[in-house]
Amino acid sequence: MSQESGVRSQESEIRNPKSEIRNPKSEIRNPKSAKHSIIGASPHRIEGRAKVTGAATYVDDLQFGPNLLCGALKRSPIPHGIIKSIDVSRARALPGVRVVVTGQDFPGFTGLYLKDRRIFALDRVRFVGEPVAAVAADSPEIAAQALELIDVDYEPLPGVFDPEFGASPEAPLVHPDLGQYECVPFIFPQPGTNISNWFKVRKGDMAQGWAEADLVYEHRYRVPHVQHVPLETHVCVAQQDVNGKITLWSSSQSPFAQRNLIAQALHINHSKLRVITPYVGGGFGSKAGVSMEGAAVGLAMHAKGRPVKLRMTREEEFYTTFVRQGLVAHVKMGMTQDGRITAMENRFYWDGGASTEYGVNITRAAGYSGTGPYFVPNIHVDSYCVYTNHPIGGPMRGFGMAEMHFGIEQHIDQMAHQLGLDPVQVRLKNCLKEGDETLTGMIMHPTGLSECIRKAAEAICWDEPQTLPSGPHKTRGKGLACMWKAPAMPPNPGSSATIRLSEDGAATVSIGGVDLGQGALTVMAQLAAEGLGIKIEDVRVNTVDTDYSPYEWQTVASRLTWSMGNAVLMAADDARTKILRTVADAWGEDIDDLDIIEGQVVSYKTEEAIPLRDMVIYGLQRPDGTWTGGPVVGEGRFMPEYVTPLDPETGQGPRAVVHFTTGAQAVEVEVDTETGELQVLKIASAFDVGHAINPEMVKAQMEGGAVQGMSTALLEQLILDQGIPRNPNFTDYRIATAVDAPLATENIIVEVPQDDGPFGARGVGEHPMVPTAPAIANAVYHAVGMRLDSMPITSQKVWEGLAKHTS
Amino acid sequence: MNHTIHFKVNGERYDLSVPGHHTLLQVLREQLVLTGTKNGCEAGECGACAVLMNGEPVNSCMVLAAEADGAEIVTIEGLAHDSQLDPLQDAFIEAGAIQCGFCTPGVLVNARALLNRNSDPSEPEIREALVGNLCRCTGYIRIIEAVKMAARAGKEVAG
Amino acid sequence: MRPFDYIIPKDHAEASALLAEGSGAARAFQGGTDLLIRVRGGFIRPERVVDLKRLPGMQEIRLGKDGWLVIGAACTMNQVAIHPLVRERYDLLAQGTASVASYQLRNRATIGGNCCNASPAADTAPPLFCLDTIVELYGPGGVRRLPIADFYVGPGRTALQRGEFLTSIHLPPSPTGAQGVYNKLGRTKVGDIAVMSVAVYAWPAATQSGLTWRIALGAVGPTPLRAPEAETALAADISPAGVVAAAQLAAGASRPIDDIRASAAYRRDMVRVLARRGIEKVLDLTGLRDLSGLGGAA
Repeated sequence: MSQESGVRSQESEIRNPKSEIRNPKSEIRNPKSAKHSIIGASPHRIEGRAKVTGAATYVDDLQFGPNLLCGALKRSPIPHGIIKSIDVSRARALPGVRVVVTGQDFPGFTGLYLKDRRIFALDRVRFVGEPVAAVAADSPEIAAQALELIDVDYEPLPGVFDPEFGASPEAPLVHPDLGQYECVPFIFPQPGTNISNWFKVRKGDMAQGWAEADLVYEHRYRVPHVQHVPLETHVCVAQQDVNGKITLWSSSQSPFAQRNLIAQALHINHSKLRVITPYVGGGFGSKAGVSMEGAAVGLAMHAKGRPVKLRMTREEEFYTTFVRQGLVAHVKMGMTQDGRITAMENRFYWDGGASTEYGVNITRAAGYSGTGPYFVPNIHVDSYCVYTNHPIGGPMRGFGMAEMHFGIEQHIDQMAHQLGLDPVQVRLKNCLKEGDETLTGMIMHPTGLSECIRKAAEAICWDEPQTLPSGPHKTRGKGLACMWKAPAMPPNPGSSATIRLSEDGAATVSIGGVDLGQGALTVMAQLAAEGLGIKIEDVRVNTVDTDYSPYEWQTVASRLTWSMGNAVLMAADDARTKILRTVADAWGEDIDDLDIIEGQVVSYKTEEAIPLRDMVIYGLQRPDGTWTGGPVVGEGRFMPEYVTPLDPETGQGPRAVVHFTTGAQAVEVEVDTETGELQVLKIASAFDVGHAINPEMVKAQMEGGAVQGMSTALLEQLILDQGIPRNPNFTDYRIATAVDAPLATENIIVEVPQDDGPFGARGVGEHPMVPTAPAIANAVYHAVGMRLDSMPITSQKVWEGLAKHTS
Repeated sequence: MNHTIHFKVNGERYDLSVPGHHTLLQVLREQLVLTGTKNGCEAGECGACAVLMNGEPVNSCMVLAAEADGAEIVTIEGLAHDSQLDPLQDAFIEAGAIQCGFCTPGVLVNARALLNRNSDPSEPEIREALVGNLCRCTGYIRIIEAVKMAARAGKEVAG
Repeated sequence: MRPFDYIIPKDHAEASALLAEGSGAARAFQGGTDLLIRVRGGFIRPERVVDLKRLPGMQEIRLGKDGWLVIGAACTMNQVAIHPLVRERYDLLAQGTASVASYQLRNRATIGGNCCNASPAADTAPPLFCLDTIVELYGPGGVRRLPIADFYVGPGRTALQRGEFLTSIHLPPSPTGAQGVYNKLGRTKVGDIAVMSVAVYAWPAATQSGLTWRIALGAVGPTPLRAPEAETALAADISPAGVVAAAQLAAGASRPIDDIRASAAYRRDMVRVLARRGIEKVLDLTGLRDLSGLGGAA
């Protein structure tokens, strides 16, 4: 456990990792029966009442009065082309139109890891839907009319619609100026190509690895673009005041990153841009970084003080903000006949879309995770981020891991079957254990991966005979997949927190992270309550306003509980220390004899007690009548200090990432062999979260991730026809409904503590979405002996495979 | 052309002037500032905009405001009575059936309508009743559990 | 949404006159579940929508002359699905209406709107085709009636002429002992637009098999289709082999296309599968299923 100053550790919290399998029906616990410690209890979501009453305010709910302008974006109808001319004069002349801007007004580049993006296309368009101009008008109807009055003349260019083709010398260049784009030091663009990042791993001796293998198998797997489908689409309101200060109300996962990137793109000081994020209706990565918010700010800068709202319609949401990158993965593995992996050679061609400012890091993350969670002595990984004329690929829950594991977890399964081995045993044999070297040369920290695999398998009754199908023409199967993922971040992502006490003894926690629904506010309240010694009912946690909130890098990477949690604990400890020092001074006692319990400062020595509210603002009077203390403010911060760079040629380095969260899912499915329809009977999830601060919320992430994973596995694909989206709507982009949710789920918490996590905690928000698709594919294989190497696994695809199989 | 409509929302009477092409969703959110009802798709697919109209759930994005003349509307804001939450609202909190909360108002309205017409629904009936309420966060598991809890609580009250 | 006016006509004649305005300036409006989406998407640009729901009889379900059931065009899917007379005598139609989208959408979507939207995938269509439905129209020339199969002309096209609108759907008296099954396949398990669908309907009659059959197919042609060869075959032979053969004939009657929802080949084979399952279920319901052939290859 970390002994960093200010971070309290609780050695006694390491749970006995014996069987934790519980009946899902009894998992809804009454928090009144929770143990004495708030950590490991499951208090209700602190903003729950606001959300169930409709009182919770999201950006589109904020009121701005009758002066609010409606923003709208003029979009390219073609996937690739030169903009020959734009004529906005007719739009400008329409009564009620207040602002019209184009790329000429905002020529600067922006981007998180690679600056390859403009707010509006300037000379070229690179995807269907790319904004080329924007209007702000008195009403949505006038704005829509204005868009029709903007005339754009394009010269179409040949497009790139496949990442393997895009990476080849024959492909036209989507970004001819790639060599001139700024990028961070750990990204390696290949100028003169469409490859915006090439991450390599070279380890061991491949010839020897293949020679040792009894079976070598190679296969290609394809994952299409999918979209996050947050229920709340992207929306923001921007306003510039008379002094030039811009306020941006934004449904964002990253208020500070938005401030940073937009300020840079528009060449304004950070202090001149304020980002406010109230409740957010889901993100899943789509609301990380910046997508359409720059356009709203650009409009506001010309709106003479009027606020401008820009809200994506559902159709726009499907293809104009972020989508998940597509992937073509070539996986090649060698295995001995007793199931030991000897070598892996993997090539990942990421369909990054028209801009890969974010996607380059997904490519990198897949690179340094590119074996899956296994010990492999001989490795060759090439992970290419490729520009295409597709919608912009960006971070989506799993950050490349779901796409990558789809292939790897089927591949291992397939090889196990071919060798006549149990796929679960093969995984247990090869999965990383503490002390193993990963593919980048990092030493694996303690991990519960093996336990997760075993428990997930047990929960699905892996070793027992298959249950009977529910009717004729039906057959059942079971599949398992495991996974790992590290928070994919730059080496120095920071969290900070402050805690202020007030006259009523309550604590207000200020943080820069956002609750997207994952429960961050509640978990921080628990940590603050525990760290201070007060009741959780007396803790409030603020939403983000960059003018007042302390910095948080982004709400991504499943990092908040771990990173921001550390900062909050440190702030709580700081506040606690200040309080106890004051009391020690006033009472003439030793600080070690004092404690705070349920909002009271108590002395173990004298048994004196004083409620916090009596002294957290005003201080305490000493016996001589003078005062000590004053308003209590605690502060804390956390930034990992141990991530090392990786060799650009070999991908090797002592510490590629902060840590890995590992886990497994096992799925039982029933296949209708006539129609190809799948019924998911059960999904059992087991993840090593280090320590569950709020177990019910951890389980809720497992359920939600499993169903989102299942939905992408069975239903989802953004259908792009030469770059044109054919199904940007709920009618033809179906997501899982309440009827499609699995009939049963089981959620198993494994706890192998994280050495520098608060009370040993590690993140889990993304991970439950990662193994679901390959677990389902493996279950289908078990049921019908057919390998489905592309997503989505639709009923038609199963039917086609069965038809081929039996013919 | 504007229409004058007289209707009740959450028990309150209103007289409003509404453009012919404005939907009930728009009027609730923009004129009455009842922002609990959400816009998720404006195509009748996601259910985030569900309200009760004369006791029956409808997607308010698919109803023209002008049609609401003479109607009684209940939105999420009207589910609770004074400060007493609807048993469904309590159950959602208890069961952890809320994450981002954006689908929650529509789900609650639809679930309330379900329990009004079927006080003891089976699990398949609950799932089917909610098929038009998309949720991306929870996976529906705890939502289904919460509806069952509220149904049980309703039976206990009824005795 | 592009602005339009909302008009409530006071009677049929005014509605007809409003709709008679040319070039799509006026559109019929009932549930709006198809219309509003098309307006929002910019596919149509009406200047006014004419709300037909409140015209006399549009929301009624009543027994007409000679035992026919008359359903007003503006009856919602839910209204139709739960009506005692529909459930008792035309359960096939109840099944079709109950399969549309979601409960809350069915409180708005209307049976008349479903017919007039004329999607080949309409869920009311295969049942209505099986039930020998007559549709009644009102227009400048007065009232006229058409068999439903003549009402559907092509994808999104009906026999409605300028100024005409659908007022009611007429179902002939239901034969004694009639049974029907509506099977539909979607991408999600419930609530999707039909990728394809099959309605199977039969009633006791003096045929070789003892039953007269109607089979109608959805989403596998430019309009909903009957499968007359399959119907004839089943009238003669309802043995397991006969059922299989009839299902094959039903598949042969389909004319599906490839689109983003499914391939033609998949749709055609699913007609075969769902037709067979529908026929078997109808035989179960009529008590005439030959179970000795159970377990044979499909």
